[in-house]
Amino acid sequence: MKLTKILAAALAAVMALSLAACGGEGGSSAATESSSEASAESSAAVGGAEDPTTVLTDARIGVQLGTTGDLYISDEIDAGTLGDASITQYNKGMEAVLALTQGKIDAVVIDNEPAKVFVEENEGLKILDTAYAEEDYAICIAKDNTELKDQFNQAIAELKEDGTLQQLLDYYINGVEGAEPYTSPEGITYDGTLVMATNAEFPPYEYHDSSSGQDEIVGLDVDFARAICDKLGKELEILDIAFDSIVTSVASGKADFGAAGMTVTEDRLESIDFTDSYCTGVQVVIVKE
Amino acid sequence: MLDFLAAQWQTFADSFYRNFIEDNRWTYLTSGLLNTLLITLGALVVGVALGFALAMIRTTHDRTGRLKVLNWIAKLYLTVVRGTPVVVQLILIYFGIFAAVNINATLVAVIAFGLNSAAYVAEIFRSGIMSIDPGQMEAGRSLGLNYTQTTWKIIMPQAIKNVLPALGNEMITLLKETSVAGYVGIRDLTKGGDLIRSRTFAPFMPMLAVAAIYLVLVLVLQYGVGKLERRLRQSDRD
Repeated sequence: MKLTKILAAALAAVMALSLAACGGEGGSSAATESSSEASAESSAAVGGAEDPTTVLTDARIGVQLGTTGDLYISDEIDAGTLGDASITQYNKGMEAVLALTQGKIDAVVIDNEPAKVFVEENEGLKILDTAYAEEDYAICIAKDNTELKDQFNQAIAELKEDGTLQQLLDYYINGVEGAEPYTSPEGITYDGTLVMATNAEFPPYEYHDSSSGQDEIVGLDVDFARAICDKLGKELEILDIAFDSIVTSVASGKADFGAAGMTVTEDRLESIDFTDSYCTGVQVVIVKE
Repeated sequence: MLDFLAAQWQTFADSFYRNFIEDNRWTYLTSGLLNTLLITLGALVVGVALGFALAMIRTTHDRTGRLKVLNWIAKLYLTVVRGTPVVVQLILIYFGIFAAVNINATLVAVIAFGLNSAAYVAEIFRSGIMSIDPGQMEAGRSLGLNYTQTTWKIIMPQAIKNVLPALGNEMITLLKETSVAGYVGIRDLTKGGDLIRSRTFAPFMPMLAVAAIYLVLVLVLQYGVGKLERRLRQSDRD
């Protein structure tokens, strides 16, 4: 009998304690959050238009692990140019945005195009007008595979020339009406396959689309890679893995090339080669409205 | 042969430098290790405390038929927690339950892994308590001890000794399960290795280091549990 009472009391105590703890946490964090927001607003007012560096200084910044946003912000934090800013690397860009909407972080640094999609799909978010950084996207190929790299560069040049690339940019990024995605020429025959490593969580460059009734990976990079492979007479095969594993899998031969809105950086050049750039990307800052 | 070995050694040394020394990348592992230990220890405390309470409810009900409602709740809890993957629980707790609350992610991990571990610990404790012959309880009661006294003075000391190996096993599992903490952006040991990997693109070295550190941690844990087992066995007849 006594044991029952002790247990019941203990359970009640645990519950009460946890509730109190949660309430306490919530209360104090809400207070700090509102005060930090207030200070961010006032500093923005002082600094005129919202400057990315002003917003990012002393902020809690979310990025996707291994992206250029991650590399730039990590470097800036190490160098101390962002004051007391802290960085959290999420496995997916979407998770960073989710954390932002919940107030777990203050800003997300990510590529412009996926940023637009994220802001469109989440209310109360906006992209700062001024970009954080600009960069060139390219396809990565293993260092010892210069033959494939030369073939890719040739194909890229041809696709720029004949307007295919512009057509894809119009369709996926500029939203030009009447623009079409890429379709392989009819009756094409393939001699072997090329494996492309990508991280299909990065609209509009590569993402899963099930609107046709079956799941497929589509996007600018996918269409562009398919156009290149068609030119080389190879069938495109997609390996969908984590972004930070793309270079590793290309370097180790698990994939023939990697295309995932990748920027050429010095760090990456130490392990891998890049083709000529095929489009420019912009790193932007997403914040709450 | 010697040239070959020297070249291999040079490659290894270069890779080691790039992955751990350059840009102080080893600090990713040390800070990650600290977080892993913090989460594991915290979750262990939560898990053992809550698990013990759950086990007491379940065994009291099994042995005496009392605590019907509490037992039902405990059973529901065990079913739900043991029936879903810990990664899913962690994401649900971080982005779901604590959605509106700005809470330290490490604390969320402690809660999530603690709640998860509690379900397993509860069943471990229950098996230990149930393994004690009911005659022990009858003997205790017939000597004039009440139910609570018998439970604490006669049953528990024997039960704890019986469950130690299983409990050690659970601790090892818990330690390694925390490797999914990176899903909510925590820099644990595995995430530390991932961070290095995302900077150097080396497929092996960072993860080998991570594996080695986990192994050492488990060995320490095993040694500790083994020592405790031997200590508790001193009172046994041989």
